Amino acid sequence: MKKFIVALILIVAFLAVFIPLASINPDGLEKVAQSFGAKEQKPIWEGLMTDYSFSFISNSYISTLLAGIIGTTIVFFSAIILSKTLPSKKRKI
Amino acid sequence: MHISDGLIANNWGITAAIIMWIVSASILIWSWREAKATYSRSIAAILAISSAFVFAAQMINFPIIFGSSGHLVGGTFLAVLLGPYAAILSMSLVLTMQAVFFADGGIVAFGMNIFNMAIIGGLSFFLIKLLTRKTSSQKWFTTSVFIASWTSVMFGALIASFEVAPAFSGGLTITLPSMLLFHSIIGLGEGAITTVLITSIQRFNPAILGGLTLLKERTKL
Repeated sequence: MKKFIVALILIVAFLAVFIPLASINPDGLEKVAQSFGAKEQKPIWEGLMTDYSFSFISNSYISTLLAGIIGTTIVFFSAIILSKTLPSKKRKI
Repeated sequence: MHISDGLIANNWGITAAIIMWIVSASILIWSWREAKATYSRSIAAILAISSAFVFAAQMINFPIIFGSSGHLVGGTFLAVLLGPYAAILSMSLVLTMQAVFFADGGIVAFGMNIFNMAIIGGLSFFLIKLLTRKTSSQKWFTTSVFIASWTSVMFGALIASFEVAPAFSGGLTITLPSMLLFHSIIGLGEGAITTVLITSIQRFNPAILGGLTLLKERTKL
């Protein structure tokens, strides 16, 4: 249990340090789409935290960090649930 | 290279998306079955920590050329850490949460994104296996991890350029060279980050490298 908490704290620390340093340029595919005028439609699903931020938080650092922490936590716990569906041959809890 | 639904909103795009949903779903079921048969102990801790880390790492874009950027995909990293099957599942989990909560990657395009990043990334395990089959040299292993990382990004970009081509008036003549150009550079970042991560883990905590153990088993796989 302690191992899990330490790992989560380290990942959050990683995000806290690197979010301000991250490039906000479009990624490879987005750049290709913008440069060559791709015919894009509005997506059918906008997500709950579009662009890894919350519209009601004005500070973009806090907003992205919070979205990152929530996302990391969701992935973390869903992976634990997934691992429970992989019963091993010699199972020890 | 997360494909959004907006970019495939045409007849070919939607048809391809449906096909890729079926293909990816079939491979995910296969991976899940194989993963069930592979591990002799619970992988809860390593699966949860590595999946969460890959999610976080994907948020951090590094700048490349022409005012664009890239970020770690992490498929090869997960493959060395967890083995190919659990890596496919882990990356699929990350992509699922990105699509559902962050609209990063479409819902219709979900099968495409699973294939281009999770499946290709996980299967890059076998490229490392192939490249290292005749040697146990650490230097060559690290080189193979780099090659597999770069190749997995390029292969994903190659398939993505076919999938999104109809959205561009020049079609594939535009998407193929431009996607491969950008991703040949993003792939270098992928390779560099992945090799640093893997060699650090080998140095500090080699016991947790389940995928590495699988790589070294010459009879299985």
